[in-house]
Amino acid sequence: MSTFEFLRYATLGQYVPVGSLVHRMDPRFKILAFALVVAAVTFSGTYLANVILLLTVFLLVALSRVSLGQALQGVRPALPVLAFLAVFQVLLPPQTFGGEACNLIWQWGFVELTDCTLRFIVVSTARLIELIVLTTLLTSTTTMAELAYGVEGLLAPFQRMGVPAHEAALTVTIALRFVPTLALQMERIVKAQIARGADFGTAGRFRFVKTTRRLLPLLVPLFLAGLRRSENLALAMEARGYTGGKGRTRRVKLRARPADYLALAAAAAFCIAMLNVDFATLGRALAAWLGQF
Amino acid sequence: MEMTRKANTSTLVRRIAVTGILVAITVLLGTLPVGGFIPFPTGVNATTLHIPAIIGGILEGWPVGWLIGLCFGLFSFLRATSPLFKDPLVAIIPRMFIGVTAYLAYRGLKRVNELLAVGVSAAVGTATNTGLVLGIAVLRGYMDISLAATVAATHGIPEIIVAVVITVAVVAAWKQIARRSGGSSV
Repeated sequence: MSTFEFLRYATLGQYVPVGSLVHRMDPRFKILAFALVVAAVTFSGTYLANVILLLTVFLLVALSRVSLGQALQGVRPALPVLAFLAVFQVLLPPQTFGGEACNLIWQWGFVELTDCTLRFIVVSTARLIELIVLTTLLTSTTTMAELAYGVEGLLAPFQRMGVPAHEAALTVTIALRFVPTLALQMERIVKAQIARGADFGTAGRFRFVKTTRRLLPLLVPLFLAGLRRSENLALAMEARGYTGGKGRTRRVKLRARPADYLALAAAAAFCIAMLNVDFATLGRALAAWLGQF
Repeated sequence: MEMTRKANTSTLVRRIAVTGILVAITVLLGTLPVGGFIPFPTGVNATTLHIPAIIGGILEGWPVGWLIGLCFGLFSFLRATSPLFKDPLVAIIPRMFIGVTAYLAYRGLKRVNELLAVGVSAAVGTATNTGLVLGIAVLRGYMDISLAATVAATHGIPEIIVAVVITVAVVAAWKQIARRSGGSSV
């Protein structure tokens, strides 16, 4: 019956409770800094930029005292996808990548590898590793509650413009609170339907219609039970005097320290530098310089 | 009276509660071994994770659909292991529109026939997800247009069918919309 223990799947991120500079950062500043570094990763498409980014990301791992194995654990499931994508890129007729001139560097029958394709493969692999490690880092140094408070704090200035900051944060808190509850609910539904003779699990890739039909007696009751629960929750919240974010006080007050401002400034400077330096030219200059030796 | 099961609570509080629960369902479908993904012969899985955003948009309006979609996007970005969805532009932006377009389709057709409106709305919401994800994927250079069109046909259409069936069943049961066939409401 261990296949029915859904509760053990209902984990989101793995918070690693060690104290470190990154753990102690104000969540608002951490999220902003994270977004800046992610932006730098998303828009960097050269070899040199990605080498710098990889080094930066691993420096951050060291700073946050999360073990390297833990930081890299998300990379492993991505490897088959990456391999598949690389093979796919090589087998496809060479793409032009925005009209840029590409040189053929390897050919075998109709299979052609241009330098553009090679760069695309290497850069997207590096980018994926950087992003996976960064997100693992964020969720392993920040609890989900801290993340919700952080998002609320960041959106608070926009509250006057009608952005529901408090409501959004409360929504996330409710969602996190109810994931285990609904997992148990789902477990109960699955067991009930199996007791009635239903069959679950996937029927194999080629019988997706069957798999889909097996999902219906699971998903429909799950949604209905969830909606019913949300009505009860709304009633319970009102019964306890909840009327929205206005005038509410909080047990946890976020206070930024000088170190937080410093970290954010560093992230901003890093992002601006990564987006403005012409790495293609710099890379060629570096290669020429290294070529002298 | 169309929403007989609604307790007499304020719109704001009910919206918060419904959004929270539907986001929880999204997360749950994404993490449990059963429910979120349907393996397809092509090797890529069809998803049901966008359905809570559609249902939220239909039942409680576009802000709810928008927020559920945003949370779905963030969740899929944080958990993604493929380069496509590890790109915040692909993972987050398209998802914010699922519930919004679903809501608009529902509002537009509600007067004609409510059940039809729900079905069309689910189809529109799913098409929004597929179309925007693939569209941005093409713009960002992850795939070319012909590949995107193939994926849209092989996955978009089955996903639309699944979404329509589930959404219609859930919304009809929840709102207790009478069906011509009668019988059980679930």
